Amino acid sequence: MRLPIQLSKQSREPIYHQIETQIKALIASGTLAADTPLPSIRALAKDLEVSAITTRRVYQNLEQDGFTTTVQGKGTFVKAINKDVKKEIEEKAISESFKRSIQIARGYNYTDEDIKQLFKLTLQKEANDNE
Amino acid sequence: MNNPAVFTNVTKDMNDFTFGPINFSLEDGMITAIVGRNGSGKSTLLKMLMNLVKPTDGMIQLFGDDVGSENESWKEHIAYQPQTTVGYDPFTGNQLKQLIAPYYPHWDDEYFSALVKRLNVTLNKRFNKMSQGNQQKLILALTFARNTRLLLLDEPTSFLDIPSKKELMKIITEWMDSGDRSIIITSHQAEDINKLADYIAVMKEGQLAGTYEKDLLSDMYGQYWVKEETSERLAGEIARDGQIIVSNNCEATEQDLHERQLTWEISPLGLEDMITILLDQQEGMDNGNNFNS
Repeated sequence: MRLPIQLSKQSREPIYHQIETQIKALIASGTLAADTPLPSIRALAKDLEVSAITTRRVYQNLEQDGFTTTVQGKGTFVKAINKDVKKEIEEKAISESFKRSIQIARGYNYTDEDIKQLFKLTLQKEANDNE
Repeated sequence: MNNPAVFTNVTKDMNDFTFGPINFSLEDGMITAIVGRNGSGKSTLLKMLMNLVKPTDGMIQLFGDDVGSENESWKEHIAYQPQTTVGYDPFTGNQLKQLIAPYYPHWDDEYFSALVKRLNVTLNKRFNKMSQGNQQKLILALTFARNTRLLLLDEPTSFLDIPSKKELMKIITEWMDSGDRSIIITSHQAEDINKLADYIAVMKEGQLAGTYEKDLLSDMYGQYWVKEETSERLAGEIARDGQIIVSNNCEATEQDLHERQLTWEISPLGLEDMITILLDQQEGMDNGNNFNS
């Protein structure tokens, strides 16, 4: 199985952290349900074109944070997570993407007020488009 | 014994240059890609591990045993896929298998059949009647089936078609899954290195210029597109092409760009670019060890 993970090489965020955050988001959103097997450390490294040192670190962190469990000789599986954690991860994923937009806006010298205005406008437009 | 292969002060007098001294420890459970220009000594390094080229000085150990000693027990733990084979021509794949398998105590015949099927290898054709790609696939199947702890692959994808290359990547990935096997691979294909390598060892004119963790390379170098023209050299700048500036110290470069009030964007460097920088760097400038910190 190939995980839908997008890495940004421009980002200063370390690659292992990008992978970790995205897998956690996939688990929180239910895209990866409980008991779903994850690809092996080596297969994920190949798919994402990173080293197995990086993916091993990601899997260690996921397990430590209670998102996965490793069964000796069988592989790594997604664990059921509770609602509070789910909400925390969702909020984190959303706010991370807000953060990226804010950084772009600041790059164009937008003030906080400009950003708020544009956000409201975008939200309205999105709502209209969906009608 | 955590390091499957260890080079200690290994030198070899060659016709046009001296190889080494090489000091190198291979990390267990990892794939190390050796990169270098043609003739930089990559294949020599692999041949030395197989005791096919004997060093003038120094010692090479495989799983703790000196490969130059009488004791050849290390041979059952290592399989080597050379770029070219000698003496295979008159034999079919089936005959080659029968000739090779008995030398390898861990030979896995079932795995060999599976590999042959996955790579579409014909076993009843004489080797010299096969295409270069099919010869390469047969050699790879004969190498993997030896079921060893260490694999040496010398340009394993050079003649493979795209689907076979993809299949080989999968085979290599699965082969490594057990976690206690290691591979040394030489390749000029950036895709092979991108998908497979954990460590990149850089060879330059018979010297090992440095070993780098692949994913840390992108922390070492940065590339910037600068809007305004500037003739002054920026902090950390190592190369420039028009508005594109390459740096080996991103923090210093970004601070310098900021202080000069220049407008810039990060433009990521690909692995091919980074390997080219590593191979092009002047000896004096190349402080390989600094990068490892």
